[in-house]
Parts: sequence; structure tokens; C-alpha cells
Amino acid sequence: MPGRRSRRSVLAAMAALPLTGALSACSGQGATTAGSTSGTTRITFWSALRGSQQVVDAFNRTHDRVQVDFQQIPSGTQGGYAKLSNAARAGNAPDVATIEYPQIPGFAIDGVARDISGMISDTLKAKLLPQALGLTTFQGRTFSVPLDVEPMVMHYRADLFEQYGLHVPRTWDEFAELAHTVRRKAPKRRLALFPTDSLATPFAAYCWQAGAQWFDTSHGAWNVSLADAPTRRVASYWQKLMDEDVVFVNAMDSRQYDAQVADGLVLTRLTGAWDAGAQMKAQPGLKGKWRIAPLPQWDESRPAVGTHGGSTFAVTKDSRHPEAAMEFIEWQVSHPDALRARLSSGASSQYPAVPGLVPVDRKAFDRSYYGGQDIYTLFDQEARKIRDGWVWGPRMTATGKVMQDGFARVSGGQGSLIDAVRAAQDGTMPDLKALGLSTTQHST
Amino acid sequence: MAATTQHAPPAALPGTAPAPAHRTRKAARRRQLGACGVLMAPFFALLVTVFLIPVGTAVYLSFYGDDHPGLGFGAARTIFVGFRSYTAVLTDPTFLSGLGTVALYCLVYIPLMVIGSLALALLLDSGVVRLRASAQLGLFLPHAVPGIIAALIWLYLYTPGISPVVELFAKADITIDFLGLHTVLPSIVNIALWSNLGYNMVVFYAALQAVPREVIEASVVDGAGPVRTALQVKTPLVRASIVMVAMFTLIWGLQLFTEPMLLSQSSPMISSRFSPSMYIYDAAFTRNNYSLAAAASVVLLLCTIALSYAVTRWTSRLDRTEEAR
Repeated sequence: MPGRRSRRSVLAAMAALPLTGALSACSGQGATTAGSTSGTTRITFWSALRGSQQVVDAFNRTHDRVQVDFQQIPSGTQGGYAKLSNAARAGNAPDVATIEYPQIPGFAIDGVARDISGMISDTLKAKLLPQALGLTTFQGRTFSVPLDVEPMVMHYRADLFEQYGLHVPRTWDEFAELAHTVRRKAPKRRLALFPTDSLATPFAAYCWQAGAQWFDTSHGAWNVSLADAPTRRVASYWQKLMDEDVVFVNAMDSRQYDAQVADGLVLTRLTGAWDAGAQMKAQPGLKGKWRIAPLPQWDESRPAVGTHGGSTFAVTKDSRHPEAAMEFIEWQVSHPDALRARLSSGASSQYPAVPGLVPVDRKAFDRSYYGGQDIYTLFDQEARKIRDGWVWGPRMTATGKVMQDGFARVSGGQGSLIDAVRAAQDGTMPDLKALGLSTTQHST
Repeated sequence: MAATTQHAPPAALPGTAPAPAHRTRKAARRRQLGACGVLMAPFFALLVTVFLIPVGTAVYLSFYGDDHPGLGFGAARTIFVGFRSYTAVLTDPTFLSGLGTVALYCLVYIPLMVIGSLALALLLDSGVVRLRASAQLGLFLPHAVPGIIAALIWLYLYTPGISPVVELFAKADITIDFLGLHTVLPSIVNIALWSNLGYNMVVFYAALQAVPREVIEASVVDGAGPVRTALQVKTPLVRASIVMVAMFTLIWGLQLFTEPMLLSQSSPMISSRFSPSMYIYDAAFTRNNYSLAAAASVVLLLCTIALSYAVTRWTSRLDRTEEAR
């Protein structure tokens, strides 16, 4: 029986990993409920977001009736979502959990996130960017409250653009032309990267912008059409750029990409608004060299963008104090003090889902990295262009993974982008059917 | 346990007359049964707790699942879902491609493993090799390394940028990517071979020790050279071991998990559903679809049982035809 025993022990070790997470979750909560005193309601809050501790401290200082116990957890794909799912299965999820937009439908279907439609106040609703709230609402039921929403923008190297005499492209046609120009003028450099891995894939945001509707719930069933006409258009556009070798094709979460940015090999970064702050921290040496412009458009007369990144807060079904949890969430997403506390933990260029808070962000943001550019005025404009009606799928992490696996093979020279998209659809349908969901699909 | 101890023989009462013969026989039989029960009890207890109950749970989970009607935002309830999860698994191209990957893996791995370890065992047995004990130890040592550590070692040797092997090749102007699209499967086969070759070699070597020396002497007297002795005399005599090794290697191969799971950390060419076992893990822990994971496990179990049965049947038929000859 070669290896059988060793396999078992490996499996045991692997099984033990999430277990210890769940166990520590239990003990964490046990301790907090024991500490509650009469009069005050204690709630627990899990997040991977930076600055959460500062926000919680500020909340606890200014509130008597509700006190929050915060636990920093790993980011979603690093195990945070698994931890949340396991805790919910064990019946001891925190009162408030942090969920990114693509994962909301999944957590709503699994019964982790609570339907908070009746609890969310009209004043808060009125403050939120409608498109952001739309992403957390299904069949008229809201499952979480957006903190930030991140329109896609084009970060570009102003110094290199000037050096090569390039103009900021306003349409995707100009962008493609520019990609060739860059290749011609600087053979080692490329205009952009097509990421093969990527956290919440910019590819989805490109398709979103182009008018794709990967998932549609308007007819009472999950209609899945990953390879619809706008997606095919986007896929063939990038496929052409890849085939002509005018863009880089590699992973974004890699040392290779870090080097491409650090060495000025890639001239633009097509990512969400948040990436401006992330860039300042990752590459302090490039201060003053970057600027931000709107994402190129397909049709300038009907501008649209998708989003890339952004987080929301959900009240869990396990929560014994949903009203207190909601009070904390409302304060956290809409109170200027909450935002100030968050920003005190370091530079951030998040775009708040409550646009009324933009002045706070603008004031706190150090503009010198972007040569004095007022990036928040740009973000304001772009956020309003977010195309309404996009719906993420019920198992978006898995769908995205299958697509990425396909993209990785494309970069290895096998298949095409649209093949990868179709494979993602084929790999998603059985999953949805096994959940008992009503599904329809369109492959064209 | 409690049930079996009931069979324990009652202590003989002092002062009773010697029992008639048939009664002593009966008592001895009962004692034997009792001993049997006591000795087998741990085995059955373990069989039930670590095999039958988990398998039963998996079968149950595959037929009962959370049902999310409509868009799924309403309350879920656990219902009997029939073959829904099985239909989903069997129509999932990512699961089927995982099965294909494992089939290809077994086709490459099993012959290499069986032939390689048998050849090594025959070499050691023939006495050609000096320092037999140290050679055996050296070959066996990798098996003592846990699979996860082995995968880590090889991950280091395979990953471009940190691997001394890749660097060495690069110095000789050979670019080699062990984790590329077409090289990743051979790379996994290599890890498995390295880990298990020594173990199977020991199995074969032990079997060869049991071959009667007279038979070998007879073949030598009849003029067979060392190669012919090895291939035509010794090998057929250890056929039972060959079948056993092939079968265990097959079972282990079908459950391929550790190596690709670890290598997937550094190669995008290994998808999260690379093998059926990885598919099951992904279904349970990424997709939170326990019913689907359970159905996939049962399918994999049935494949394993069917293939093992086929191997047994095939070899026993070979035995029979041999006997008939």
C-alpha cells in the first residue's frame, strides 16, 4: 500500500487546517459573549479590510449601547470566505461579515447573509450610489450594504507617454492603435497587460462595460450567458492584441508583473479606482510619474464602465443582534468619522459607495504621487458611468477560477480567450443545477 | 466490543466432573469463536467507524442536499434530490477531464512503476549489485519522506527562478519548464515514482527471496543466463506480487491529490479541478456544494472498485488458462 498512509495523513492535515480556523472562531466568539454586560449589546465583526480596527475603535468610543469586537481575518480567497462558510455551517458566524460583490449571491443563497431589506433605512438607501446598491439586491431583497464601489479607470505613465509622444486613448480603437505604436517605438515595452489570473478579473469588468450580461435573474431563473455578443467582442479584441504581441499576457499577482510595473515596461494599468492607493504603497519610487484617465470607451456617446473590486458588509443569519449589527454597518459606511478612522491606517484611494463622503476622501488623499491631479473628481465622473444591471453569479469564485485556468492555458499557447469563457460556462452549469437553482443558458 | 465479549467462555467451575467428549468439543469451539470475536473486534470496529460510516454518509449526502428553488434566495431545505448531483457530476466537463487526466496519469505511471521496481528488485536479487543493503536503503528512503514534503522538495526543484536544476539547464542553453502545459503530468509522475519505487522494489525483493533456490539452480544447470533466469524463471514466479503492486498503484493513482494540489501553487497549468480528488475538494470547500462533492466521491469510489475488480478478474482468468495449459 505505497503512499496510502502518507496520503491519508496529508488529507488529515489539510482537513485540520480549516478546522482550526473554525475552532478558533468558536473560542473567539465564546469569549466575547461572555464579556457582554447588561445594557450594552456586543456584536462581532470579521473583516480583512485594512483600517477596520481603527473604525471599530472609533465606533466603540462614540457608542455606548452597542460595542463591537473585531477580528482580522485573511482576505476572501486566502481563506477568509472558507472561514466564514465554515463558521456559518457551525452556527457561529460573526454578526457582521465582509463580502466582496462577486461573492454576495453565493453567500445569500447559502443562507449566510441575511435579507436586510426591512432593516436598511431609507436615509441610508438614499445616500448610496444606486448602482452599488443594485449589486447587493436580488429580487428586490438586499443582502448587504456596500462600503466602496470601484469604477475601472486607466492608470498611465505620464512621463513615458510624454517621452514617446503618446496621447491618452479615449476609445478602445485608439487604445489598440496605441498598443501598436508603443510596440513600434519601444520594442521592450507594452501598453498594457492582459491578466491571466487576477482577483475578480478585469476581464469581467471589460465585458460589463461592453454591455454583457453574464448572469441574468430578471425572468425568475438564473440565465447564464457568459459568451454573449458583447463578451465575444471583448474576447476577440484582446485575443487580437495578444496574437499581435502588443500586450503582455501573464499573471497580475506575480513578481513578473511587479517588475513590469517597477521597470516601466507596462505603460498602463487598467484596474479599479482603489489601485491608485495600492500603487502608491507598492511603488513609492514612481512618485509623480503616474496619472489617471477614464477607461477607454466602445462608444463615446454612450459611456459606460464596469467595476473592479469593492467590499460590502452583511448581517449574518446567525446574528442574535441584527439591529445592532445594522446600526454599526450604517455608521461604518456613511459616517465621516468612520471614513476618517479608516483612512488613518494609511493611504487609500477607495471610492465610497456613499458619494457624499468623497470630500473626506479627497481631503485625506495625498495628491503628490499623481502630480497634483484631483483623482476624486475623475472617480466621481466614472462612478456615475457604472452600467446598472450587472449581476454576479451564484458561484462566482468557481466560475472565475475555471475561466482563469483557461486564460492560463491561452498564455501557454493552447486555446483562445473565448474557449476559456465557454469552458467557464460549461463548468458552472452543473454546479448551479446541483444546487437546485432554476437555470437557463445561452451560448450565443 | 460488548457484543463480542458475550461469547467469552464461562470460567470452568472447580470440582465439576470432566465433561463428556462432545461437550468439551463444543466448549473448545465456543472458546475458539470467542477468541475469534475478540481478535476481530478491533478490525470491525475500525472498519465501521473509518470506512462504512463515512462511505454511508457520502452516499447519503449525494442523494440528499440543500435545495434552492427558483433563484435560490428563499429558505433552503434539505430534500431527497435523487440523482441530481450525479447528473451534475457526470455532465460536468471539468470532472470528466479530471478523470481523463488521471487515466492518462495511470497509463504512464503504472507500467513505469511496475517495470522499474521489478527491474531493480531483480538486479538486487541477482547479486550483481555490491553493497546490496545500502542500495536498498537508498532506494527505500524516499518512501519514508511524507508525500507533502516530497511535493515541496520537488516544487523547489521545478519552480523556475529558484530551482538549481532549471538554472543548470539554462547554463547549458536549454530552456526547460517543468510546470508547463505538457510537462506538468510527467513532472507529477516523476514525483510519484521517486516516492514509491523503493517501496515496491522491497515488495518484489521479498517475493523473490521466496523463490526456491533449487528452481534457479535448475535453470542455471539447464543453461539459462542471468537475464533469462530473471525474466523467464523468477518473474513468472512472483506474478502474484506484480498483480498486487499494480493494483495498489492503480488505486493510489486514481486518488491523485497531494502532488498536483501543491504544484498548483506555482503552476497555473494545474487547474483547481485537475484530478477527481481535487474536484471533490474544490466542490466541497470552494463551491460549498457538499452534495456534489459526495456524488463525485461515490463516482470515484465506484470507478476504483470496478477497475480493481477488473484487474482481479483478468489476472485470475489468466491463472486459470495457465493451469488449463
